[in-house]
Amino acid sequence: MIRNYFIIAWRNLSRNKVYSLINILGLAIGMAVTMLIGLWIYDEITYNDYFTKSERIAQVYQTQTFNGKKGTGPAIPRPLEAAMREDYGNNFNHIVMSSWQQTYYLQNGDKNLRRDGHAWQNGAIDMFGFEIIKGDRNGLEDPNSIMLSENTAEELFGDADPIGKVIKVNSEHDMMVTAIFRNIPENNTFDEVEFMVPWQHYADTNEWIANALQHWGNNSFQMFVEIKEGKTMEEVSQLIGPVKYEKAEGEKEYDPVMFLHPMKDWYLRGDFENGENIGGRIENLWLFGTIGLFVLLLACINFMNLSTARSEKRAKEVGIRKTLGSERPQLVRQFLAESLFIVMLSYLLAMIMVQLSIPSFNELSGKTVEIPWGEPVFWICCLSFILITAFLAGSYPALYLSSFNPVTVLKGTFKAGRYASLPRKVLVVTQFSISVALIIGTLVVMKQIDHSKNRPVGYNKEGLIQIPVFSKDFEGKYDLMHEAFLRSGGAVAMSGSMSPVTSVWSNRSGWTWEGKQEGFQEDFAWVEVTHEYPSSMGLIFTDGRDFSREFASDSNAVILNETAVRYMGIKDPVGKLIRDEDTGEEAQEPMKIIGVVKDMVMQSAYKPVKQTLFVFSKEGNINYYNLRLNPEKSVKENLELIEQTFKTHFPALPFQFEFVDENYALKFRAEERIASLAAVFTVLAIFISCLGLFGLASFVAEQRTKEIGIRKVLGASVSNLWLMLSREFLLLVMLSLLIAIPIAYYIMQNWITKFDYRTNISWWIFISAGLGAIFLTIFTISFQAVRAASGNPVKSLRDE
Amino acid sequence: MIIQVKNLEKYYRTDEVQTIALNKLSFEVKEGEFVAIMGPSGCGKSTLLNIVGLLDEVDAGSFVFKGQEVAHYSERQRARLRKHNIGFVFQSFNLIDELTVYENVELPLIYTGVKPSQRRLQVEAVLEKMQITHRRNHFPQQLSGGQQQRVAVARAVVHNPKLILADEPTGNLDSSNGNEVMQLLTELNKAGTTIIMVTHSEHDAQYSHRVIRMLDGHKVTENIMA
Ligand SMILES: Nc1ncnc2c1ncn2[C@@H]1O[C@H](COP(=O)(O)OP(=O)(O)O)[C@@H](O)[C@H]1O
Ligand SMILES: [Mg+2]
Repeated sequence: MIRNYFIIAWRNLSRNKVYSLINILGLAIGMAVTMLIGLWIYDEITYNDYFTKSERIAQVYQTQTFNGKKGTGPAIPRPLEAAMREDYGNNFNHIVMSSWQQTYYLQNGDKNLRRDGHAWQNGAIDMFGFEIIKGDRNGLEDPNSIMLSENTAEELFGDADPIGKVIKVNSEHDMMVTAIFRNIPENNTFDEVEFMVPWQHYADTNEWIANALQHWGNNSFQMFVEIKEGKTMEEVSQLIGPVKYEKAEGEKEYDPVMFLHPMKDWYLRGDFENGENIGGRIENLWLFGTIGLFVLLLACINFMNLSTARSEKRAKEVGIRKTLGSERPQLVRQFLAESLFIVMLSYLLAMIMVQLSIPSFNELSGKTVEIPWGEPVFWICCLSFILITAFLAGSYPALYLSSFNPVTVLKGTFKAGRYASLPRKVLVVTQFSISVALIIGTLVVMKQIDHSKNRPVGYNKEGLIQIPVFSKDFEGKYDLMHEAFLRSGGAVAMSGSMSPVTSVWSNRSGWTWEGKQEGFQEDFAWVEVTHEYPSSMGLIFTDGRDFSREFASDSNAVILNETAVRYMGIKDPVGKLIRDEDTGEEAQEPMKIIGVVKDMVMQSAYKPVKQTLFVFSKEGNINYYNLRLNPEKSVKENLELIEQTFKTHFPALPFQFEFVDENYALKFRAEERIASLAAVFTVLAIFISCLGLFGLASFVAEQRTKEIGIRKVLGASVSNLWLMLSREFLLLVMLSLLIAIPIAYYIMQNWITKFDYRTNISWWIFISAGLGAIFLTIFTISFQAVRAASGNPVKSLRDE
Repeated sequence: MIIQVKNLEKYYRTDEVQTIALNKLSFEVKEGEFVAIMGPSGCGKSTLLNIVGLLDEVDAGSFVFKGQEVAHYSERQRARLRKHNIGFVFQSFNLIDELTVYENVELPLIYTGVKPSQRRLQVEAVLEKMQITHRRNHFPQQLSGGQQQRVAVARAVVHNPKLILADEPTGNLDSSNGNEVMQLLTELNKAGTTIIMVTHSEHDAQYSHRVIRMLDGHKVTENIMA
């Protein structure tokens, strides 16, 4: 019986090549899109699956309240460790103190690499379950030990055995390689970690960390934990909530609440607002999941429409089969089997499409997904996917076609009733509403990205490079290098700063100033810079003056951005002082405001610029050299000159640099990826819809051949006929516009409010989406309409 | 008695008008009989055949098929009874275009659940008998009208039904092909199959035992053929 069904299906396919092509191609594209999205989602939800204990691992987070606004983040103070171990230790298998991701120079002989890694306590190895392929699992016990990734070990030592060898770290410390760990896979929080060093080493070699041991207000560290078996995240989270509040007298005003942020939420639900988790990347999962379903639905609608449109052709067969004793369920099964057959063919084509498009997909999405051929789960998913698609596409046509009455259809006068095409119209409107909404959505997202990209950044990011200078070798060399780089002719200006131009690494509070309101809980972005910073960046002064080497007192100078002036509520800020709230022995000297600059966008391009203090770096806390390339020379020449100069002074260190404008562009990468993926899917969705429209148009043209012939004989022109054939479809598409535009407007208006710096949803977006849809419709159906209208009427009339 | 029809009524309702297609029609057919139904176009012949063939519902009256009252049967019940007992031959052949001759003939056996090996034997036998074995792998459009109607007859009899209903089986055929089909039907009737045939042709009616003449939905005369 099944064989019989497939035979019929196959012969129907091969006899109606155009319909078959439209059906299979449409379904295949739809399925391919859905599969790619499926792979993407799978990759997202398996993020951090590398850690076998991911259900029990968490990071300790903290919510504090500043001026009534709750802020949440992973930064915790150092004394928390002792408090947690003493009072709550029995809830945890591991409590691990950790640095932020560090960039170190790792040197073995003449090989010197700059690599990212972590300083953390030995428990991290067992807790995260890093795979040690050589050496000692407890290799972080000794403060002067280091663990290397497979890759880094090979780069440093080649084929030689690295275990027990000593390498130079940051040109300063001799550290012994105690273990080699398996490279951490791509979709993992720690995928960039190439080395691990002991927490103790990190704490011992940095004075400020040692100083932080009793300092509850210095939130500069991270803590990872593994809760004991049998405990739940919620209960432990509750338990540790007040730990800081109870211990830290001076911090009570900020109402600190500690809690556990479970590993399974790190990647997908990393955003907090008002102390509450508000999701994060998970939104993109919903977004793409919805798009995937919609695209599949569009393809299924094509299938339904074409199958039911052609029902008059199948009606006779249904009639005969019923006469010969077939019951309706048998026919339903037959038609379902037929759609299963077509879906299977489409699936094969879709698999080929997916396989071929995976490289470009990965490039576009910044992922490294592949088809998991070996996973049984994958095949189960594929099978269910085929069945679900076949059912989705096939059930309506099956029920419709099998409902025909044999007596009526065999009389030979069967014509689908006047309302038979109503469901098809509804489906076409659905298709185009979805497509138009997708177009509008994509346009709004792109406009928003464009808008943020073109935001005035307050400095000149063109022709600016930054060189990271973390190593001890650079200490005290700033003035020397400043002179050398300028003299080389490769740079026309240079400055130093503690954080890169495109981010802020430090926030400070504990200041007071004239006119500060009682109880005001200030929080400033803190950027330490050299004299030349404002001039080399091209910051725009609105008040006061730049740092100057002429004034020795400028070692205590501070420059504010405009937001800071407004935030602090000072009038005539220049000349005023910002003082340490502490008045004791260790109080810092007051800082004198010497100037005000226009806001410089360093952090999120979507958010308002934070109140920022540019302070002169007294301690030479310089991590980056920022060089303005010489506009008279080519970039290549400049870079050669700069590299030569660098190598003359630091022959052992690798010369590495970043273009600031490229770094800035990275801020948009995630959004751009989402937008370009969405754009591709939208184009495919529209293509599928047009494919369906094309099929329907050819069906209608075919169905009305006789009518067209008669009208032509009676004198209708090609354009009369074109209008007659196109009008109905155009009306449907316009109806779709009426439905899609308000819905899309509502959704996107909602979406865009999550950006503080946002574009407006202009009318031209709707106009262009609407005109685009109408134009595409005309283009799609005109081919069929004109062909039918220009046929020879004699021929079509003789056919009857 | 294979068929007993009493006061049969059938109406068609379209938007405003109601047509009486069958009006208190009564007649009987004995097992093994060959009955011809004649009458002007639109008098209700096909409607009657569809009801007798268990394809259509009855609006009023009684219809006893092989001793069972079936007037109130549901579509599913009718389908079950139909597929084992009745074969149809139509004026326009009604073969499935996407199936070959062999597959078309095989269909009723599939629906009655005959095993594949048994199906093969039966189909081969009937193709042989209808002399279309050499056309078994052709599609209907590749055959002449006469050949198509022979396939249709083959399909109607392949599962050895008790009753064959033929609605103007020669209507689309020339006289020599028409005679051939009438010959086939006569042979089937001689072998014991009951046949009810609608026809416009007095010539074809000669082959039957009895002619029922209809007008406006009811029976006017009944003549036994010589
Ligand atoms: N499906 C239908 N809907 C409405 N009227 C119908 C339908 N089928 C048949 N009729 C009407 O019923 C009457 C009998 O039709 P039919 O049995 O086909 O006649 P015959 O086969 O004798 O030519 C005719 O008047 C015809 O118009
Ligand atoms: Mg008739």
